[in-house]
Amino acid sequence: MSITDLTSMSEAQIALRKEINERLIRLQEEISDYCYQCAKCTSGCEAHKLLELEPHKMVALLKRGLIDEMVNSDIIWTCMSCFKCRERCPQKIAPVDILFALKNMAVASGKQIPGNYTAMLQSVLSTGILQEIKSVSTSDNKTKNRDDLGLPEISKPTDPAKFMGMLSKLAVEKV
Amino acid sequence: MGNKIGVFVCHCGINISQMVDVKKLVEYAKGLDGVFISKDYKYMCSDVGANLIKDSIKKNKLDSVVIACCSPRMHEHTFRGVVESGGVNAFNLEIANIREQCSWAHDDKDQATEKAKALVRAAVAKAKLLEPLEKSKINVTPEALVIGGGIAGIQASLDLADQGHKVYLVEKSPSLGGRMAQLDKTFPTLDCSGCILTPKMMEVLNHQNIELLTYSEVVGVEGSIGNYTVKIKKKARYVNMDKCTGCGDCVEACRMKGHVVSDFDEGIGKRSAIYMPFPQAVPLKCTIDPNSCLMLTKGKCGKGALCVEACEAGAIDFKQKDEESEVKVGAIVVATGYDLLDPNKMYEYGYAHSEDVITSMQMERLINSSGPTMGEIIKPSNGEKPKSITYILCAGSRDENECSWCCRIGCMSALKQVYLLKEKLGDDVEMNICYTDIRSFGKGYEEFYRKIRGMNTNMFRGRPSEVRNMGDNLTIDIFDTTTNKLFEIKTDLVVIVPALVSRTDSEEISKILRISKGADGFLLEAHPKLKPVDTATNGIFIAGCCQAPKDIQDTVAQASAAAARAANILSKEELEAEPQVSYVTEELCSGCGTCIAVCPYSAIELVKEEDGTTHAKVNEALCMGCGSCVASCPSGAMQQRGYKDKQLIPMIDEVI
Amino acid sequence: MKKYALYPGCVMPTEQYAYELSIREIMPKLDIDLVDVKDFSCCGEPIKSVNQMMTLTLSARNIAIAEKQGLDIFAPCPMCHMALTEAKRVLDTDPKMNERVNKFLLEEGLKYTGASDVLSILDILHGVVGVEKIKKKVKKQLNDLKVATHYGCHLIRPSEIGRPDDAENPQKMEEILIAIGAKPEYYPEKLDCCGGLLNANLPESALTKTGQKLQRVQEQKFDAFIDTCPWCHRQYDSKQTKAGETVAAKLDVPVLYLTQMIGISFGISKEKLGLNLNLSPVDKVMGGT
Repeated sequence: MSITDLTSMSEAQIALRKEINERLIRLQEEISDYCYQCAKCTSGCEAHKLLELEPHKMVALLKRGLIDEMVNSDIIWTCMSCFKCRERCPQKIAPVDILFALKNMAVASGKQIPGNYTAMLQSVLSTGILQEIKSVSTSDNKTKNRDDLGLPEISKPTDPAKFMGMLSKLAVEKV
Repeated sequence: MGNKIGVFVCHCGINISQMVDVKKLVEYAKGLDGVFISKDYKYMCSDVGANLIKDSIKKNKLDSVVIACCSPRMHEHTFRGVVESGGVNAFNLEIANIREQCSWAHDDKDQATEKAKALVRAAVAKAKLLEPLEKSKINVTPEALVIGGGIAGIQASLDLADQGHKVYLVEKSPSLGGRMAQLDKTFPTLDCSGCILTPKMMEVLNHQNIELLTYSEVVGVEGSIGNYTVKIKKKARYVNMDKCTGCGDCVEACRMKGHVVSDFDEGIGKRSAIYMPFPQAVPLKCTIDPNSCLMLTKGKCGKGALCVEACEAGAIDFKQKDEESEVKVGAIVVATGYDLLDPNKMYEYGYAHSEDVITSMQMERLINSSGPTMGEIIKPSNGEKPKSITYILCAGSRDENECSWCCRIGCMSALKQVYLLKEKLGDDVEMNICYTDIRSFGKGYEEFYRKIRGMNTNMFRGRPSEVRNMGDNLTIDIFDTTTNKLFEIKTDLVVIVPALVSRTDSEEISKILRISKGADGFLLEAHPKLKPVDTATNGIFIAGCCQAPKDIQDTVAQASAAAARAANILSKEELEAEPQVSYVTEELCSGCGTCIAVCPYSAIELVKEEDGTTHAKVNEALCMGCGSCVASCPSGAMQQRGYKDKQLIPMIDEVI
Repeated sequence: MKKYALYPGCVMPTEQYAYELSIREIMPKLDIDLVDVKDFSCCGEPIKSVNQMMTLTLSARNIAIAEKQGLDIFAPCPMCHMALTEAKRVLDTDPKMNERVNKFLLEEGLKYTGASDVLSILDILHGVVGVEKIKKKVKKQLNDLKVATHYGCHLIRPSEIGRPDDAENPQKMEEILIAIGAKPEYYPEKLDCCGGLLNANLPESALTKTGQKLQRVQEQKFDAFIDTCPWCHRQYDSKQTKAGETVAAKLDVPVLYLTQMIGISFGISKEKLGLNLNLSPVDKVMGGT
């Protein structure tokens, strides 16, 4: 027998759903099954008004096993990870963490990573930190950087090659 | 002692016989030492089976019986009766469970039959060592104690009193009435709560069998079913009950008038230090609150106490003291009611940040015509009429962070209030309801819900994340799952419907009575389906919201049920106690007290003898025969009748 | 003197210098000794969307480095604090995850043991130092400066994993600010997010969030807006003008780090606190300095 979503003609992706639920359990979080769609998360979602993210819908789609439509969407990248959804959910579900799982899945499946993330990732891989030391403007129109301000040397991996070697092995690791 | 044992094997239809070879078992049993006859029948629990056993006992002059059948939980009680009517002591019976513990648990017929043989062997070994036991008798005091004077306590008291039993009704607050006295109208009939409650309260007051003890608390309970000794503290009202006429002049005159936060008004109204809880209070007497009265807290009240001046009956008496009394009862009904979840636990709903965010009970007091605003609906912040009122249901209910249960009455009470508000304020006041599910499960409830749907109310299916006090309005963002749109509601007055929890003082009561509470904090019933008003402690019953949240009709039904259950005990002159209780061989007991620590029924105490030795003693009326004490006893001094070590060890030997 | 390994993260040491300056100024005065440790890397939280396993491992790696020095960690950036706390929580309670992550750390000769604690700016100021001690060092009157506190998101949520302050009614910043003579007041938008994380892929939306909150703060006539997170501060201070343009409002709100505010009350000079690096009109607050 079957259950088909007639708008996308897709059926539940049971294996993917299991994968996400198991990942949530590994992080000691609540699985999506307990959601009763009260929409408290969406009512308070910081990304909803501006970007139309609906965390409760993400959870519902996960419950139904309609994972691909979320992984392939742009909407999952609008989450600000403010954690209000997890904080206030009466069933202790964390849509924010489900979204992290979906985003990780999108990256792992080879989808293009939006925005700056690629650059940030590259920087971490090669230098160990997110971005290089910047020169900033002051209120009296001068420019200063770390050295100018007399701050000590920045802390970075002392053996970048070894560090990168370790980190790149993680590229294929899933939680 | 069993020398002539009869073994009766039941087929239980095919439940046993399909996995255990019954005929082989019967043959096997015949060959066991001590067994005189061995029979089988398809349904041993039937009339025919019972007669088979009875006749066999009589004909063969058997002295002990072994029945190999289903679990003793099913028919042990019945079979004891059968054996007794055959002329053998009811406790010279041993049951071998060859159904739940044999045929239902295995799928190999040969092995199952071997196991059944072992079970029967063990049962026979025990039967040889069984001793006749007699049920002891307990006297019953035919009077009852009811703790709690809300509608549950009132109903239970009336039922018991009408049956002819004397009832002591103890109520903590100065008046009967409980939560119903705070309500305006009740759903779904919209009866005036006070109007249906007051006649019952008067009945209690005037009933010759009810001794009403208001402003009193139960402070100690000793004893067991049929014989409880209860210590009651009657708190000082500082008002002479015989002299006070309930005129209320003192309330008007009080120097603290309008300054003391009123609990009855749920904190939304103020009263005097001397007060009448509400106009229809029973008894209609004033009480002085010792925490806010200037005379009682500071020793002086201006140039003189104004209440004393105003009272023509001279009923004020600052020298009054608490009184303690003791009563003896045979059964106890607990009806201590509920509290609302502290609204600050749902901090995001803004209760702490706006006077115009109130609870449903506070709204009920506003609606009530004898409430703090005489029934006028106003915004507490500025006294103006609200233009828009928004309800938030399930505040803290069905919430794993607060109360995981449904409060059961939230939906209906909110719908009821919306109806009353529409009546009072007219149609130009916007009424919004934010709900998760509308649970209108009872008789007439769905009809009521339909009525509200037709009354121009805005229903939003969703739970708001927060309420923001924006100064000139309260703003609520709510995602409505019916239209999949986010709505911004700008409203004047927000009513949150908080979860229902057990009253904080039920903790004390549960300790004093030694009854259990569930994980949710409510008092625990003996069985959720079949014994909803019993507790695990014999003789103590619970009714109403102290057991779990419920509406008034279920409360009344439970109260009558508890009264009936209590009357079962009170109507008997004597009760029989199960004889399979534990007992102490005093010479072997060192008084270590381990048994006392493990006893779940507090049935054991340490007794000091005149020669200075201490030993444990079992109160047979409280003992439920669980055997924990026996297992814990390091010296073997504690034994259980019918399950003595010397009776059980041979069983183990036979099985191994 | 209490010693802590200073874990600076990435944003603070590469661009939000004012936070680092003000921390290094006030901590010694409060008997907190900050140890600079080499070899730290990013905590991984900003790239959690890409690979959460990487985040857990990076965080565990940093804790392991501090453990090697026998030091507890002070992470001034709440994002880092959350990443490290979360890694600690998972590895301390799940032996399988612990084993998995430690296998990676072994490649650099590191081992996570769980010996080090991870503290946030509030844990240090409110917990270790204490409000009383801070009060004693106040030299300059702030004259009941009306301030709005901004805790951000990662510092107080999700409460279930244990955060430095209450998620719905955090008061630790308020208590510190009252002790130094300021007057923090409640405002309905107190718990709103700065939008900082969206800088990576939706920078305009981030600026909208920032601008909207600042607008409300301005409307309610606050004298200053106090934050404790480099990501938030970058939005509210460094990008205030842009945020104003995005929401079509003229924003003029002085935005300071909590540590800068404390430093001002201690009488420390502008330069030392990095106040010239604040692009919002902090001179309005400095008033009589």
